[in-house]
Amino acid sequence: MDYAESYVIVTVFILLGVALPVAALTMGRLLRPHQPTTDKGISYESGVDPTGDSWIQFNVRYYLFALLFVIFDVETVFLYPWAVAYNDLRTDVGLFILVEMLIFVFFLVIGLLYAWKKKVLEWT
Amino acid sequence: MISMNGEFIAFFLLSVMAIAGAVFMINFTRVVHMILALAFTFLGIAGIFVTLNAEFLAVVQVLIYTGAVSILMLFGIMLTRHRDETRDGGRPWHAFLCFLGVGGFFALLMRIIYGSPFNGETAKTETFSVSGLGESVFKQYVIPFEVTSILLLVALVGAIILAKKERS
Repeated sequence: MDYAESYVIVTVFILLGVALPVAALTMGRLLRPHQPTTDKGISYESGVDPTGDSWIQFNVRYYLFALLFVIFDVETVFLYPWAVAYNDLRTDVGLFILVEMLIFVFFLVIGLLYAWKKKVLEWT
Repeated sequence: MISMNGEFIAFFLLSVMAIAGAVFMINFTRVVHMILALAFTFLGIAGIFVTLNAEFLAVVQVLIYTGAVSILMLFGIMLTRHRDETRDGGRPWHAFLCFLGVGGFFALLMRIIYGSPFNGETAKTETFSVSGLGESVFKQYVIPFEVTSILLLVALVGAIILAKKERS
């Protein structure tokens, strides 16, 4: 089978993945009774009536966590080609390949330590 | 004449997906729905990368844009006052002028594209490999790679300083 044609299988998987929840939810809609009341519409909060609005302003802490996530996500992306090419490059440039990645990670660790020092990682 | 092979159909569907996501993002009134539409666009673009044999780029697109950047935007929006759903419907001539401007820009762009000669062959896309990417990044472009980490560090430290200043 051609390499590009193997993506037909991937497409079939994607279609199945979309079709399965759609079919399940449609079947549920057809089978279940439908009697909505306002009490049923209230969001469940451990048996206590919810107060206020669910659309609140988030704490800035969430944003910093998301930013940390993005930065270390980018680091992960660089680790992939590094790991794949590691053996070829080690015969070529020696241990410099390891040092390169260590320098890269070192700078990001400085950032993480700074975040730790500034109590970004704590939930007070 | 365009042949109707699988690649063309895939490209067509993915382009529709990307453009539809972008159009929905502009038209939705709730910001969270906008982010979902934008994530849809990112997925469509990742699919287009796959049709171009750039699988690594597609995975990176899903990992960073669909995953991380969408989350970042979502949390960024959650920081703001996001209950505002007011629509600007007062000026009908405004939309018309926008249409004229965009239409003119489209015509100009198409004129330039069709008028410019494309000499030589297009680049081959079949020869890409992650190992080759790794070799060029870690052998040829070592300094830019290390500078990238400093750039990420600066972004992180800057964001922390700004967030901390805001709270105190």
